[in-house]
Amino acid sequence: MLKKIIRTQEFIVFLILVALSLVVGIINPAFFSISTLFDTLRASIVYFIMSFGVLPLMIAGGVDISFVAIAAMTSYTTHMFLLKLGYEGGTLLYFLIAGAMGLLAGLLMGFLVTRFNLPVFNVSLALYTMWYGFNLFFIGATANFDLPKGTVGYYARFLITAQDPYVGQTGLHVSIIYAVVIGLFVWWMLKYTIIGRGLFAIGGNKEVAIRSGFNVNFIWMVAFALMGVLSAIAGVTQGFLSRYFNPVLFITQPLDVLAAIILGGASITGGRGTVIGTTLGVLLIQIINRALILTGIPVQWQKLVVGIILVVFTSIPAIRAQRARRFRRTTEAA
Amino acid sequence: MTEELLRAEHISKRFGGVVALDDVSLTIRAGEICCLVGENGSGKSTMIKIISGVYTPDEGDIYINGHHYKRLTPIEAIHEGIQVIYQDFSLFPNLTVAENIAINELLASGKQIVDWKEVEQIAREGLAKINASLPLDAVVETLPAADRQLIAIIKALLANARIIIMDEPTTALTQREIQSLFNVIRELKQRGLAILFVSHKLNEVMEIADRTVIFRNGKKVLDQEAAGLDIPTMAYYMTGRRIDTSAVTFEKIDETAPPLLRVEGLTLEGGFYDVSFELKAHEVLGITGLLGSGRTELALSLFGVMPADAGRIFIEGKEISIRSITDAVSHGIGYVPEDRIREGLFLDQPISDNVTVTLIERFLRRLGLLDLRTKSAEAERWIRELEIKTPSGELPTKTLSGGNQQRVVLAKWIARSPKVLILNGPTVGVDVGSKAEIHELIRQLARQGMGILLISDDIPELMQTCHRILLMRAGRIAREFRREEITEQVLNAELVAAATAHSS
Repeated sequence: MLKKIIRTQEFIVFLILVALSLVVGIINPAFFSISTLFDTLRASIVYFIMSFGVLPLMIAGGVDISFVAIAAMTSYTTHMFLLKLGYEGGTLLYFLIAGAMGLLAGLLMGFLVTRFNLPVFNVSLALYTMWYGFNLFFIGATANFDLPKGTVGYYARFLITAQDPYVGQTGLHVSIIYAVVIGLFVWWMLKYTIIGRGLFAIGGNKEVAIRSGFNVNFIWMVAFALMGVLSAIAGVTQGFLSRYFNPVLFITQPLDVLAAIILGGASITGGRGTVIGTTLGVLLIQIINRALILTGIPVQWQKLVVGIILVVFTSIPAIRAQRARRFRRTTEAA
Repeated sequence: MTEELLRAEHISKRFGGVVALDDVSLTIRAGEICCLVGENGSGKSTMIKIISGVYTPDEGDIYINGHHYKRLTPIEAIHEGIQVIYQDFSLFPNLTVAENIAINELLASGKQIVDWKEVEQIAREGLAKINASLPLDAVVETLPAADRQLIAIIKALLANARIIIMDEPTTALTQREIQSLFNVIRELKQRGLAILFVSHKLNEVMEIADRTVIFRNGKKVLDQEAAGLDIPTMAYYMTGRRIDTSAVTFEKIDETAPPLLRVEGLTLEGGFYDVSFELKAHEVLGITGLLGSGRTELALSLFGVMPADAGRIFIEGKEISIRSITDAVSHGIGYVPEDRIREGLFLDQPISDNVTVTLIERFLRRLGLLDLRTKSAEAERWIRELEIKTPSGELPTKTLSGGNQQRVVLAKWIARSPKVLILNGPTVGVDVGSKAEIHELIRQLARQGMGILLISDDIPELMQTCHRILLMRAGRIAREFRREEITEQVLNAELVAAATAHSS
């Protein structure tokens, strides 16, 4: 059992995470602080939520990049709409309206993919462009900093607070709860529901999944709907955490999220991927990001480092497969 | 009269303008092994997909266990006890043995939540049904083909199958595994299941069939008791023409001539050991053995894919070194791979491009541009010469039938006029008619002076093309036979003996 865990990619990512933290901590002890921990988690929250939405699709073999655009479109449109109405209440209505829009956006994409049997990536590329275009053309082209009264204090609402020797009062934002609940839900769905196993089945062999009697189109629709809703939640959360709503929110970020999921052991061709791996992947990218700042290495190096790690990680399965083939030949000939 | 489980009546199915099935009826009875035979494109696969609910027929009715269906869904077919074991075994490579076995039962139960204890329970029961033992938590993609097939059969049994349809079930199996599969099939028949065994391997059909049904060009041309049906008759119904294999003429080899290819003590760690042989011009040398005997590795070594670790290779008396495919090609060695679809062809590219791809540097003009006129003339020549049946050389290669695709692979190597041509399983998955033509082509190439290494475990094929046959076992050359000294029976016995020795 232990041996099996050690062989997983998740464990390797975990080791890199620990090793990297140690190295950075030795170079700059400021890294080992409660505030670094809380900050890293705070910055990770929206990426957790988005990646948990995209992971089920990737397990089924679909690569989506439109989730960032859905996050931007739903959050910005909801905000501008409520602002116009003079809304003064709390965050809940934001999540409900944006969530409903995200659901519809997800279902639209699911419809296009299942009805016309289109490749997920092509559709997502089109919708990525379309939703950002929708924001800029119909809603507005500038970031908006006017928050309703009921939501103003939200950015500093903490689950727990602590005293940090370097920065004083610091806290872990409550929205980490959303990420945890969503993570647990997606984990449960993937492991314990027929829909979840169906996603793995489709990613393993779509033709066989159809023959076996999985309701493939329904499963796709559920995965797209989930992606849409979670993207909307991430978009709204990001708006409140940063205290402004942006029509081109996350426009450069889709690949960072996909990279985190792939680092966590998911395969871009489908069939593999876990919530825990994705979580570690998101954290790893965030920590590399921070580590480079704290150690004084130029930020531009971040992309290079993540890139190198990705190259190594994507080669591991191929190298293993090659070794397995060689091994099999030897045993047969012996 | 035994109980009738399924009756498909007057089934027709068209895809675009192509008629796949034309007014075909088929009956399947309990406790009977029915063999469905036909060439590629005869409509066998379409029929399987219709009676398992994957395709809806344009016309016709399906009666299963007395229920009438105009449109049958896959789920309904499963509920009626129809289980198809496809060539790929319909497994999920990324999931475990246990989940693969249990998945249909989970889906059939209609439950939306997975109980992993139940999954394991179902898997154990399934393995007990055929007394098999497989590691439940192993990921299926790590298992050999025979194990994957067992899982597929267990799945079918667990689904309370009354009719098991097997689509080309022996393709990935060795001789010995085929025999144990046949034992399982007979056992299932004893239990009153109906088996629809779909194949174009006539010797296997001879061995296992109670009743034989033959399709040709989307029509049923024969449906009768298997007793009294022989291979030439079946081949005739399949192809619509007589195939004569008795009057094969072999090119005489000049025994005193120096060898074209000589190999001494060739070794690839983990593949084969101390292999030595000679190949003369005009000669076809067969290399046979079981999967894992090292025959494919030997071929790949000679072609530079897996360079040998030790040993010497001579071409026309001159020692050469083969470290890469480029080396092999420049010394006049050609290779036609086993899996032509994956390794030998660009399926989406035009036939003409596939034929000329190995010649590409001959069409180079200044500035590295291609002379397209010469190229297409050359392509036309080879399409004509190898009688590749196509309306145009510019069509994608995937539009061709299996036999014609194999000719394209042959054409692209012959066009380079290699001295030595290595053929690995040249007729795997090719129907009877095309097979005979490919054999004639091999003999013809030898007549023109090429030396040919034919790697195959198809015994009639070896006997009809080879001058000598080397039998490999556990990476070594175990025996050498001259064709005129042995019969198919002897060679078969030797191969099976090798299997027994191999497993002990």
